[in-house]
Amino acid sequence: MKKNSVLDRNRDPLRNVKKAIGLVVAIIFIFPIIWMLFVSLKPDGFSTTNPLDWFTPPFTIANYIDLLLNSMILRWVFNSFIVALITTVLTLFITSLAAFAISQMKFRYKNIIYIFFLVGLMIPGEATIIPLYEIAKNLNLIDSYAGLILPMIASPIGVIILKSFFDSVPKEVIESAIMDGCSYFKLYYKIVLPLAKPALAAIAIFTFIGSWNDFLWPYLSILSETLYTLPVGLPVFNSTYSQAYVLPMTANAIASLPVIIVFLFFEKQIVKGISFTGIKG
Amino acid sequence: MNKNLWMRDIKVIPFLLPFLVVYIIFTILPVFKGLEMSFYDWSLIRKIEFVGFENYQKMLFDPHFWRSLWNTTLFVILTTPTMVLLALGLALLANLNSKLKTFFRTAFFLPSILSVAVISFLAIFMLQPYTGLLNTGLHSIGIEAEPFWMADKILSWVSIVVVTLWWSVGFNMVLFLAALQEIPESLYEASEIDGATRWEQFRYITIPQLIPIGRVVILLQILASYKVFAQILLITGGGPAGGTRPLIQYIYEVGFTQNNMGYAATMSYALFYILLIISIIQLRSQRLKES
Repeated sequence: MKKNSVLDRNRDPLRNVKKAIGLVVAIIFIFPIIWMLFVSLKPDGFSTTNPLDWFTPPFTIANYIDLLLNSMILRWVFNSFIVALITTVLTLFITSLAAFAISQMKFRYKNIIYIFFLVGLMIPGEATIIPLYEIAKNLNLIDSYAGLILPMIASPIGVIILKSFFDSVPKEVIESAIMDGCSYFKLYYKIVLPLAKPALAAIAIFTFIGSWNDFLWPYLSILSETLYTLPVGLPVFNSTYSQAYVLPMTANAIASLPVIIVFLFFEKQIVKGISFTGIKG
Repeated sequence: MNKNLWMRDIKVIPFLLPFLVVYIIFTILPVFKGLEMSFYDWSLIRKIEFVGFENYQKMLFDPHFWRSLWNTTLFVILTTPTMVLLALGLALLANLNSKLKTFFRTAFFLPSILSVAVISFLAIFMLQPYTGLLNTGLHSIGIEAEPFWMADKILSWVSIVVVTLWWSVGFNMVLFLAALQEIPESLYEASEIDGATRWEQFRYITIPQLIPIGRVVILLQILASYKVFAQILLITGGGPAGGTRPLIQYIYEVGFTQNNMGYAATMSYALFYILLIISIIQLRSQRLKES
């Protein structure tokens, strides 16, 4: 393999051209994000018509302190975090239980129930959001954390991924555990779950980022400013500034840095997760 | 016998019930609730009266509905081929045998983890006239034009499409990248012995091997593009003069601003059928791939 790649390297005359193109494109891709971070570090009220000025000192972190202390941003960060965290935990919990039942337990109508879950894959949330609002309203879920969380946790794709993972647990392991008088709950908790850690991690990361960034449902269902999540609060915050750049960019940076850090830490799992689910978080 | 079956099946209830309850209430029920609502005059507050097919009739003759459905479709037409080709190109770059490849992959994917609110306001601050980064950049290299990137009829579409490409192409790139890495090395080795050029290898090995994932990417992209809403709402507000307003935004406005949830539900059903048909095609083709 190694030898072959060296060979490859010598063979491709356009290699350096391709690398240069890649580099230029990569820089274009991250440039807006880098710009955002630079602008967020400029003194409040700074404005310029020379683009290069954004990237030169003076810099300050005063905006971050200012926004975290004197605006609703910290509250929205907290809301987003709590909602994303609870959504993730509940999603893992109910999807893994259901996947365990489908994968390891014997009961009647199992196939029908599994197909019933698969149907959910074809129901696009965006197209049922109006009746969902009506249902949430009748259940008193509008303008509440529970209203943000509950409609998001029953993920059929999660069940499908976990089922296929649970299916691959060796039969002998399961059988010997049952012979030893292991209950289903113990089997689920002690044996099957630990073996599915990679799948659980991938689902957790996707659910968390998906919830952190979700826009449409929080936009419709949250009315009070104190319950806004970041994606809903940011536009409200940003649109009070039209020509000032520094504070809105600081707000955007505060919303983005946590996910960027999570992403850089878990990039491998995220990328792998995408290619085995093929579904957007 | 029957009693034994019950004893066995009862054990499954604690495992299945939590998911099933939430799933039925929040995923399945809205489908039926939406159907009911589409036959009623229904406000944000309450059900008013049964109106039969009136909402459907209204939809068929509502120019705003057709306009916004066309805008969404135009968005699908503009983004699908560009997104798929760009994703393929980026995947090839990120698959180069180079120390930079991890950096490439990270850079191409990074925008897609950002919130739509963030990318929209980044776009606004870059694109707005007089003070935006793009126009001031143009001025500083001596181009004295003042394009209205978000308010001009054609430029607003260009902006929306480019921003969307930048934001979400990384996801498709990763799908292509995974497929590229699964192409057996032996195919390339064998063709090398046969004296194939690089272009021939690309044309006759890489491309055919990528066709199955390409099909999946195209369908997923059509599906995702039909759901477009937030970045258009935030960047152009659907303007100029409704020129970029997508269907979901119109549904939202009818339901929540005009207080007509019944009609909004009817139009949601139109979208539902479009998306349903596309996902059936997708599942079909995935099954074909597997068999």
